[in-house]
Amino acid sequence: MTAALVVAAATAAAVCARTLWLGAHRRLDDRRGGGSGAAMLAALPEFLTASVLAVVVGVHLGWLPALGWYGPQWTVLPALALGLPAGALLGRMLGDLLPGAFAEPWALAAAARGIPGRATARHAVRRCIPGLLPNLGLFVVGLTGGAVTVEQVFDIPGLGRTTLQVALAQDLPVLQAGTLALVLLAAGVGALARLAARLLIGTALRDGALHSLHRPVPPAPSRAPLLHGALLLTVVALGLARDPLALDTGARLQPPSWSHPLGTDALGRDLLARIGHGAFTTLALAVAISAAALLTGVLLGLLPRFSGPLVDTVNAVPAVLAGLLVAGVAGGGAATPALAVAAVAWVPLAAHTTALLEQERATTHITATKGLGADDAYLLRRELLPAVLPPVARHALLRLPGVALALTSLGFLGLGAQPPDPEWGLLLAENQPYAERAPWAVLAPAAALALLGALAVTAAGGVRWPRRPPAGAVRRPEPTAAPTVGETG
Amino acid sequence: MRSPRRRRAVAGLLLAPLLTGCFASGGGTTDDASGDGSRLRVALAFPPAENLSPYGADATLLSRLGVTEGLTKLDANGVAAPALAESWTRENDRNWLFTLREATFQDGTELTPAAVAAALTRATEAEPVTAALSGTALTAKADGDRRVRVTTEEPDPALPLRLSSPGFAILSAKAYRAERVNPVGTATGPFEITEVTGTTGATLDRFDAYWDGRAQASGIDARFIADGSARTNALRTGQVDLAEAVPVSQAATLDKGTRRETATTRTTSLLLNTESGAFKDPKLRAAAREAVDGSVLAQDVYEGHADAGVGLFGPAVTWAAGKRVEPAGRAEAADPDGTSVTIATYDNRPELPEVAQVLQQQLREAGFEVKLEVREYSRLESDALAGKFDAFVGARNSLLDTGDPVSILASDFTCDGSYNLALLCDKKVDRAVAAAEKEADTAKRQQAAMNAEAAILATDAAVPLVHQRIITGVGDSVRGVILDPYERTLVGTGTRR
Repeated sequence: MTAALVVAAATAAAVCARTLWLGAHRRLDDRRGGGSGAAMLAALPEFLTASVLAVVVGVHLGWLPALGWYGPQWTVLPALALGLPAGALLGRMLGDLLPGAFAEPWALAAAARGIPGRATARHAVRRCIPGLLPNLGLFVVGLTGGAVTVEQVFDIPGLGRTTLQVALAQDLPVLQAGTLALVLLAAGVGALARLAARLLIGTALRDGALHSLHRPVPPAPSRAPLLHGALLLTVVALGLARDPLALDTGARLQPPSWSHPLGTDALGRDLLARIGHGAFTTLALAVAISAAALLTGVLLGLLPRFSGPLVDTVNAVPAVLAGLLVAGVAGGGAATPALAVAAVAWVPLAAHTTALLEQERATTHITATKGLGADDAYLLRRELLPAVLPPVARHALLRLPGVALALTSLGFLGLGAQPPDPEWGLLLAENQPYAERAPWAVLAPAAALALLGALAVTAAGGVRWPRRPPAGAVRRPEPTAAPTVGETG
Repeated sequence: MRSPRRRRAVAGLLLAPLLTGCFASGGGTTDDASGDGSRLRVALAFPPAENLSPYGADATLLSRLGVTEGLTKLDANGVAAPALAESWTRENDRNWLFTLREATFQDGTELTPAAVAAALTRATEAEPVTAALSGTALTAKADGDRRVRVTTEEPDPALPLRLSSPGFAILSAKAYRAERVNPVGTATGPFEITEVTGTTGATLDRFDAYWDGRAQASGIDARFIADGSARTNALRTGQVDLAEAVPVSQAATLDKGTRRETATTRTTSLLLNTESGAFKDPKLRAAAREAVDGSVLAQDVYEGHADAGVGLFGPAVTWAAGKRVEPAGRAEAADPDGTSVTIATYDNRPELPEVAQVLQQQLREAGFEVKLEVREYSRLESDALAGKFDAFVGARNSLLDTGDPVSILASDFTCDGSYNLALLCDKKVDRAVAAAEKEADTAKRQQAAMNAEAAILATDAAVPLVHQRIITGVGDSVRGVILDPYERTLVGTGTRR
């Protein structure tokens, strides 16, 4: 797990390296960052990375053990599989906050005084970390409880897999023990994350001496979403013209060709057709759930006293366990998987909202606005929400592919999409065993999902959130050295 | 990422609990080539589910690793052969006398009639009742210093077959001292469990005093790897010498020499719900039977690692082919005309959802509307037994539990059957099965079983799809693996590398 954290940290660092470097050298203008790459990486399903790593690095190259859990070198591959997407996600979130930090007066002053860029970058990261800590904590717990597929691929006796097994076997005492362990872990990690945030930023919070981290100007809309969207639309449109259910078992696992541009799956069905037809169900549901999760996340995130313990508890429950619970309460209806995923999807968003809100409340411009006689409602409407919503919304979009995958993970409980439905997650799951013999069968839906991730994130840059009126002039003056921030990429 | 000192301290604080207690114990994968036979490394598919209790699903696990034995075993022709019992005689309808051979338990005590009687008695008292016992009751008593008398409540001509079941493993008195039956160091087989690491692995040592000669391998390091691809990868990277149950999707990645195929007694069938729903109508069942083509499944879904369905008992049941009876009096097929049906299946065996999807297309072409329901097996069974689906696709090993062809027909297809997924209740079938149950003579019993099979097939409640071959991955240097069509044994005294 530590190794996974290291990988995640390294990935996050790689994702933000460019922003950091540019920021440290005061050259952050509206150049495009590498955001879509990170979004694509964050959209990669863990089990896919895991099986590819196991087969390529473990079996073919023989560099590292392909399975088992006996010592340090066994941790490398699972850590990579777990850490890459999580690191990309954290990196994206950090990259979202960094430009704001670099735009703060202290950075300007530091540059003016000739303090080396390294030091500035270090302080910028430090300035942003508290906003991410809750999500880092969530990631740690998620690693323990939710890494079931990776544990399976690498045959690791993890708590997540054990809990799922006993849940399926309805072995109540062990299930209770497992869940309790997860809840305790979640509570412990949550407390630690809060403590760490206090240590990092506590005095400033108490004295209300922070500056707003949100970007000085809205990110410029870019052409990237158009490109991604057009590509995705083309694939879907081409696919829609074909039959996703036509079986031809004789044409099993055919590589891409003119008659099957993306190849065929294990039952000889055209993958292009399946991706095209699956797009609607996958997208509609994932978008609806993400929207619901965003709404719940922000609302609950605004009430940290109430939602804090709830976040810790719910986060300890992997989506699959939530699925079992929801199925137990609501029965196995069509809405069950959506409910189950929605029940857990709001957690990281709420944690993110709370963390950002806490910092925003402690900013000097809020104090100033208060001084000018603004009431709470005004503050919330005109100051706090506009500051908090954009990064959280981008975060929600970043998690959209993850929601689509979580829906699929309920499939084997008989809750999610059922074959032969061409839902994307199901396509991935169905073709995973053939990943080595027919890589196109998993690469095609994974690429579609990654494209969706990139589209979601880049499109967010093009969305203009309501701007504050000139009353916001109490805010710090717009820095001239780093006027615009290219975080749309 | 660079970080100030304070943050580093915080990070340390965060990571501290994560650094502790991480790795599974090594499970000695050492090459112990001390001239005395090296250790075998085996990857098994199913982790122990019930603390290695010999009465449940773990029973075959114990027999596969050469730990436990029964009084009898099944030979290649499906006939009871001597194991711990040297010979046996049927005294009358209900009494059998088994003569024991000279053997010792792994804890050093002698195999005595009292110990055997106690072991059999414990098996009959197991909770839940072991599958091998299905529907019968028996008592066992020591008779003199070599013999054990087994008395059944009802006449049971198949008793020696039944006692070959892994569920009737004979363990020493020490095994039964605790609440839980403990096979560690108390069985009679060529290998003795020395350590079990949860559901991860087990270590076994050779039992030098085994009655049938010392095993060639000095021990076994068994690992339980549930994921089929992971199991195959373990063999491909040389981490294990033997990998059982290689999934079809992974078979092509193994060299031909590494891939051993055995026809098994496992048959994948389409079971039609005869009690409620669309398939209550025998004419629609006949239409479904005619629509289904097993050879496509065998060739394409199973990539040739299976044979098209010929009956409930496939080619691995060696005597069945010569005794097969053509089903008589089948219903005429009717036009389904868009009748809507739901087929349920489980994904624990990865091929089954694919089979179901092919069936869906075949039935659709015949005029049915088909919906699929795929779940994890444990979430499916109760609904299936309650008749909530119109059809069920399942893979069943017909001789795994009892070794007796008749008892599986009784449990799966008669009115009182405990695992009757087709919910079949047919007088002709019940009569045919009852007649077979009475036969004592092996040949006659087998013929009667085939008559009953024909009676069942005539109702179209079950449509045999394919007879699976099991693929075992065997490392190049390994010799003497036992490829058992009944899936009860894998490692024997002659297995070595």
